[in-house]
Amino acid sequence: MCRLARLSLVLAAFSLSACAADAAGKNDSAGEITITEFNAPVVQPSGYFGYGQDASVEEIAGWDIDIRPDGVGLPPGGATAEDGEMLYEDQCALCHGSFGEGVGRYPVLAGGEGTLSEDRPEKTIGSYWPYASTVWDYIHRAMPFLQPESLSDQEVYALTAYVLYLNDLVEYDFKLTQDNLALIEMPNKDGFFLDDRPDTSNEACMSNCKDPASIRITSAPPATEEVDSDVVEASVAEAASGQSTYEQACALCHASGVGDAPIPGDASTWAARIDAGREALIANALAGKGQMPPKGGQIQLSDEDVIAAVDYMLEVTAN
Amino acid sequence: MASKTATTAQMLQRISDEGQKLPQAERRNFLKNGLLLAGSAMTGGAISGKVNAAEENLPPNVPAWTRSLGQGVLTNPYGKPSRFEGNIQRRAVPWLTADRFASISFTPLAELDGIITPSSLVFERYHSGIPDIDPDDHRLMIHGMVDRPVILTIDDLRRFPSTSMIRFLECPANGGMEWRAAQMDTLQFTHGMLSCCEWTGVLLSTILQEVGLQKDAAWVLAEGADGSHMSRSIPLDKAMDDALVVYAQNGEPLRPEQGYPIRLFNPGWEGNTSVKWLRRLEVGDKAWYQREETSKYTDLLADGRARKFSYLQECNSVVTFPCPEKPLQDKGRYEVAGLAWSGTGKIKRVDVSFDGGVNWRPARLKGLVLPKALTRFGLDWDWDGSPAMIQSRAVDETGYVQPTFTQLRAARGMSSIYHRNAIHTWRLHADGKVTNVQIS
Repeated sequence: MCRLARLSLVLAAFSLSACAADAAGKNDSAGEITITEFNAPVVQPSGYFGYGQDASVEEIAGWDIDIRPDGVGLPPGGATAEDGEMLYEDQCALCHGSFGEGVGRYPVLAGGEGTLSEDRPEKTIGSYWPYASTVWDYIHRAMPFLQPESLSDQEVYALTAYVLYLNDLVEYDFKLTQDNLALIEMPNKDGFFLDDRPDTSNEACMSNCKDPASIRITSAPPATEEVDSDVVEASVAEAASGQSTYEQACALCHASGVGDAPIPGDASTWAARIDAGREALIANALAGKGQMPPKGGQIQLSDEDVIAAVDYMLEVTAN
Repeated sequence: MASKTATTAQMLQRISDEGQKLPQAERRNFLKNGLLLAGSAMTGGAISGKVNAAEENLPPNVPAWTRSLGQGVLTNPYGKPSRFEGNIQRRAVPWLTADRFASISFTPLAELDGIITPSSLVFERYHSGIPDIDPDDHRLMIHGMVDRPVILTIDDLRRFPSTSMIRFLECPANGGMEWRAAQMDTLQFTHGMLSCCEWTGVLLSTILQEVGLQKDAAWVLAEGADGSHMSRSIPLDKAMDDALVVYAQNGEPLRPEQGYPIRLFNPGWEGNTSVKWLRRLEVGDKAWYQREETSKYTDLLADGRARKFSYLQECNSVVTFPCPEKPLQDKGRYEVAGLAWSGTGKIKRVDVSFDGGVNWRPARLKGLVLPKALTRFGLDWDWDGSPAMIQSRAVDETGYVQPTFTQLRAARGMSSIYHRNAIHTWRLHADGKVTNVQIS
């Protein structure tokens, strides 16, 4: 028994090569040590450590948000697509488009039926997702993008119904409830199978493995342009904290103008706001207004950072 | 005496400061090269820069830093790399994602040696940005089909017996942009969703054993405390094998980017299952079919069917020198270097080809060869200045041989996105430059 080999594996490797050979692995050759496993602690009976607090029913209820395909986890409630239409326009269409077509690179929610085996498959809720429960779970869990967990259960039912309606999976006036959500059959529910890899079988051939004449370059990335260092230097020199905060925290909406966000450099979107004055703009940026949550949802930013970003946007617009 | 001591200290500091100002020539070169590289990253191509040595620092002259006092202790209390290494950065591909909050950045593999990725350079992947978590206010809830539902603090977790393991972390989308054609022009972007750290924490099996599993328990849902509440269903077999609830990486507390204060880590499995900012583990008898295991992280095949719960990162490898960021400077003898890894266990061998896969030579495995960890390989090679097609091919301890692109596409089509582990080809040009190509 090499007692020391129970120390951390790095220690074993470097200082105990003799032990490593019999207890932790084997020496293939000088300087190359192989070690098989981490050293797991001894298994103890349940309750051996006794750490932590018992989780109460109320505490669990506050965090237990997952919904299973069989409907387990759904809260009481129900709503129709009609109930969700205005809410969708207000909360979702910014990124996902009025018809679930997706804006920019944000996810497409609807359409794509029958495209999965085509050259450019479109994987949407209707064409790809196997279970409707995942729609409810995900909207409740992670949406809206800037303010997750801000929707009520009723609103989540309404949005789920509306998104299913956009995919022609329920009628406009169908009331989606905790009792019938699990019964909705998604078109691609049988489209998935368990991992069965390996699905390739190569051989470690060493010589004359293929005909050299058969080798052709089938693709290469587009040629990279030479960089003008003067231009780069200038742009780096100009980078100020207001700009970096803007790019990190604000550009998500302000660069494209989604949700009526004024676009830096586009004076027409700023006119009324500039009239209100810098102080009012800063107050709105800090406290939030309309679609914009406080500090644009980046609550870790200092007030100074946010103010610098506002000034940056104003400066870009003024110039 | 006290004032005299202070004066001496101040004088030394001044001398030190003066000393730092001396090598102006290098500083200018550094700035120039650093900016050039930062710029080339923006446009997608980082070409390695060579800092020209200043004559006055070379023998027989004695460089300025040898004739002056350096900076004292605590100049950088948490440390930082040499200012001459400003080119070593995580980088992103702007067109890849809609925004910076559900996005990814890449590890600069070409700049790294050995098998450990510095914490600062581990690739980033967020679905709702990095939450700013006070560890005193963070809790891990364990409930569901357990005898004792429990809420643990970070201090509670740190009281359990700890385990450390060196394991790779790889996003299953690593190389995913290359399914249809060679598209990225650097190693950082073709393979940089890959890192390897020493991870320290509590085995999930220890925690589950402690709270007591009920009959029929078969799955564990892991959920994060970020805005996306990232969630994945983990089979109980994995949870009871080598899954780790991690609070430290490379000896220091987890970085916020990596899940501070705690994350799950599933060795050998796709990175997405290693849920960061872990807040909740629920034990159940069925899988939850979360968005990240249905809509995403499923592998669509050519016939329209999709593989689900495809957790494993199969055997893979890539040559890291030479590569587009590290071209060859001249003819002569080189050690070609690379990385190999496999989610099933240890790397058994790596072969390297210089003629596009016609003939292969075995490489040396170097340093530690650990299961489910990056493994460094090397091979001496005399470059005669001819163009070459450089490839590496890894074999793991199960005997699985890394596939060719042709084989992988034949099995899966072009739209799988994830788990692209095909043999990679670098085209070495006669001038020493290296570009990314795919070949038949």
